[in-house]
Amino acid sequence: MLGIYVHLPFCPYICPYCDFAKWPHRRSAARRYLDALGREVEAAPAAQAASIFLGGGTPNTYEASEIGALVERLRARFAAGDGAEISVEINPELVGAGDLPIYAGAGVNRLSIGVQSFDPAEIRTLGRRHTPAQVAGVVAAARRAGIRSVSLDLIFAVPGQSPASWRASLIAACELGVDHVSAYGLTVEEGTRYARWREREPTAFFNDDREADLYETALEVLEAAGFEQYEISNFAKPGHRSSHNANYWENGEYFGFGVGAASYRDGERSVHTRDLEAYLRAASADEAIPGTSERLEGAALAGEAVMLALRTAQGVSFAAFKDRYGLDFISFYRPILGRLVEDGLLDIGAAGARLTKRGRFVANDVCGAFVTFAP
Amino acid sequence: MTTAKADSLHRTEVAERVRNFCIIAHIDHGKTTLSDRLLERTRLAGGRDFEDQALDAMDLERERGITIRMHPVTINYVARDGRSYQLNLIDTPGHVDFAYEVSRSLAACEGAILIIDAAQGIEAQTLANYHLALEHDLTIIPVINKIDLPAADPERVMGEVEELLVIEKSDCILASAKNGIGVDDILEAIVSRIPPPAGHADRLRGLVFNAQFDAYRGVVSYVRVVDGRLRAGTRFMSMAHQRVYECTEVGIFSPQMQATEQLDMGSVGYAIANVKSLGDIDVGDTITEANHPAHVPLPGYRKAVPMVYCGLYPNEGAAYDDLRDALEKLKLNDAALVYEPESSVALGFGFRCGFLGLLHMEIVQERLERNYALDLIATSPSVVFRVTKTDGDVQIVDNPSKLPAGNLIRLIEEPYVKATIMTPPDYVGSIMEITQSRRGTLGNMEYLHDGRVILTYEMPLVEVIVDFFDQLKSRTKGYASLDYDMVGYREGDLVKLEILLNGEPVDALSFIVARERAAHRGRILTEKLKELIPRQMFEVPIQAAIGGKIVARETVSAIRKNVLAKCYGGDITRKRKLLEKQKVGKARMKRVGRVDLPQEAFMAVLRLED
Repeated sequence: MLGIYVHLPFCPYICPYCDFAKWPHRRSAARRYLDALGREVEAAPAAQAASIFLGGGTPNTYEASEIGALVERLRARFAAGDGAEISVEINPELVGAGDLPIYAGAGVNRLSIGVQSFDPAEIRTLGRRHTPAQVAGVVAAARRAGIRSVSLDLIFAVPGQSPASWRASLIAACELGVDHVSAYGLTVEEGTRYARWREREPTAFFNDDREADLYETALEVLEAAGFEQYEISNFAKPGHRSSHNANYWENGEYFGFGVGAASYRDGERSVHTRDLEAYLRAASADEAIPGTSERLEGAALAGEAVMLALRTAQGVSFAAFKDRYGLDFISFYRPILGRLVEDGLLDIGAAGARLTKRGRFVANDVCGAFVTFAP
Repeated sequence: MTTAKADSLHRTEVAERVRNFCIIAHIDHGKTTLSDRLLERTRLAGGRDFEDQALDAMDLERERGITIRMHPVTINYVARDGRSYQLNLIDTPGHVDFAYEVSRSLAACEGAILIIDAAQGIEAQTLANYHLALEHDLTIIPVINKIDLPAADPERVMGEVEELLVIEKSDCILASAKNGIGVDDILEAIVSRIPPPAGHADRLRGLVFNAQFDAYRGVVSYVRVVDGRLRAGTRFMSMAHQRVYECTEVGIFSPQMQATEQLDMGSVGYAIANVKSLGDIDVGDTITEANHPAHVPLPGYRKAVPMVYCGLYPNEGAAYDDLRDALEKLKLNDAALVYEPESSVALGFGFRCGFLGLLHMEIVQERLERNYALDLIATSPSVVFRVTKTDGDVQIVDNPSKLPAGNLIRLIEEPYVKATIMTPPDYVGSIMEITQSRRGTLGNMEYLHDGRVILTYEMPLVEVIVDFFDQLKSRTKGYASLDYDMVGYREGDLVKLEILLNGEPVDALSFIVARERAAHRGRILTEKLKELIPRQMFEVPIQAAIGGKIVARETVSAIRKNVLAKCYGGDITRKRKLLEKQKVGKARMKRVGRVDLPQEAFMAVLRLED
């Protein structure tokens, strides 16, 4: 299975916690970017994609018509038929009245709405500019437009958040009847305004214990509302798991287009430069996009695959693992398995291994053991 | 000297043109700078050159502002009387750990330049060095250094010299080694005040006051020829080890080794004789002619006795062989270092190592880590206890885990030191608190003219090695100075304090402590360990126990959450690298049972502020 990721880096404003490649929206730059992106897409090898994902930045700083045209072009270029999952990330306050029918008409069948919180104070803290009512409006509009899956992003461990306000955001998401929720613990990334804030005022931020309580709340509320946790941060109603993201965790291939985009192709992982001008220059001139790449082999390749698979509810399938990496999971990882099981982090069954509930809370420790394992 | 009578039949000679001297000073009072100036003035070496090569050859030593290894230097000096003199500057280590080496260097001299900082005045170490020099009957030239400093008060300091050292003010030379002031006067004083060496022309006796190992030439002995002469080709005998060698080369340090035909009576230089190891000839040894030996050796030979022990373990078990090889190599150059294999339940295979003192211990550890790229875990340092068992057996215990069970012990003795502390009067109260809490007994208290106080204590060595100096410095804003000397063994009411992690005793964290202080120490240590031990996948109880009874308990709660929320838009590489980084941090820790311990945990016992 092949996924297509397209990065649209422009935003109407910059969120203080965001670490993605992004720039304040400028009409001229956004146009040049779209042209460059088009050239990069045309230069890609022919392939058939099972999913297309437009992420950002804020994709819907572009006009709906531009998004629609881009999606149609990508679908045609990568032979993405009606069965393919076509997702677009959007900021709710930028959605115009006629936008979503245009999206749907171009084939978009999944919307990922950047909500983050339903609490007005938290929304301000996060530097975002929508209202809870706008979110409800967008969800309703998506339904009217016939978009099949609607997902919300929520963030917990936001400074100033309380267990009660987090619970309220989760409940608000459930009550909107969405099909999918991504609940991310706030990650303070170096170089962001949040990082400087935390430097000045570390106590404003959640420690792991308090964050764990919030995560616990998310599992409880979402499961009660009929969502299945199918990955550490992702919850879906039956039939609404994101196949684009699932492809990452299955160690599937994907082409990434745009500044800072990541690809996994023919066993090579590569990431495009985050320098916008350098990207524009190279893509416009049909040159190779500068960036970094690596190719893993042996234990490192297998370890990374385990790291990804363990994030999912189904975990690692021994048969698939053997098939793809030629290794017997149990005998290969025997030196580290005992402790993980003893510490109650890993469940080993007849056909596969997966994180226990406790293991999901400390997945870094478990996955870290696999990615650094050398026999 | 007992030897005087035996050799009285021989003719006594005086080496008129030779002067042997050393420079003694408190740390930072300017010893290296003055040595530098003396050499510069006699055009022997450029300033940097000297510092880099001649004296403080090792980074470690310079970083700590002290000299551990001693390199003598021969200087040719034309005095105001128009005659040329051979001045031999014999360097002395500046730390109490190396007191024995200091004493051997002093024994090779007739005089000493005593440097006193014109602003700071006499310090505890100054006094200790002065008394040591007097014991060796050296002529003292007091130099008040750094007189150009704004805070300098030479008058006051000369007052101290009169009062404390009983030296006339008029004997003091005012100097600024940094600016070259007074250097000529010092050189002249060396010639005019320090007596030339006297000895017998016959029957070689050379004092080995230092010995270094050279990978290509074997042991290089630094020798003061007391009687007779030493030349290349001489078959000489080490009187301490009763072994005979043929001398292949003699020479002087100018400052590099420079071969000469012979070393005459009274002079200082080196001898090379294909000696394979520092165990075969060592500091304090006397060499004599094998065919025509002296009747008795020079006095004062003593085998180096380690005072402080600790376990050294490779962080990775696989590095055990590397550690053994590195210790072997270090030992070639450090006769005082002793080690033997040991194993710890917590740490696996390693070595029990003995050192002259804490500084020596730190230096060895740093050398192992820097020069041999080893990642080491050191267990808490211990002194050597003497345990008399109920059956009358006496057992030497240098490792707390080897302490016999309480019911088998009749008594435990521990080494004591006499500690001399000099301080401004404001801090006497604080010092009394620290020393009392460390079982010190006040011997003497003396008020100096300038208002400072000298306190003399007898204290258990173990109380001094654990953090005492740092405490003293911090409680007196850095004003107090300390020096100490071993005074022998005393009985103590001592117990073993054990630390249990996750219910399992960790031998590497246990130590022997005064019963009255044990519970308190246990509480502090468990608190400290709680801070140092990162949270694990499970709750970790930390307990302190005496004789099986728990006296303190803390708990490190389990990690609840450690997970990367996001997928970084498919940037899997970045995610993987974050995990690798986290994991590398953990790999630096030592797994003890199920618990991952950072290296600092093993040193926590060293920093038990009260």
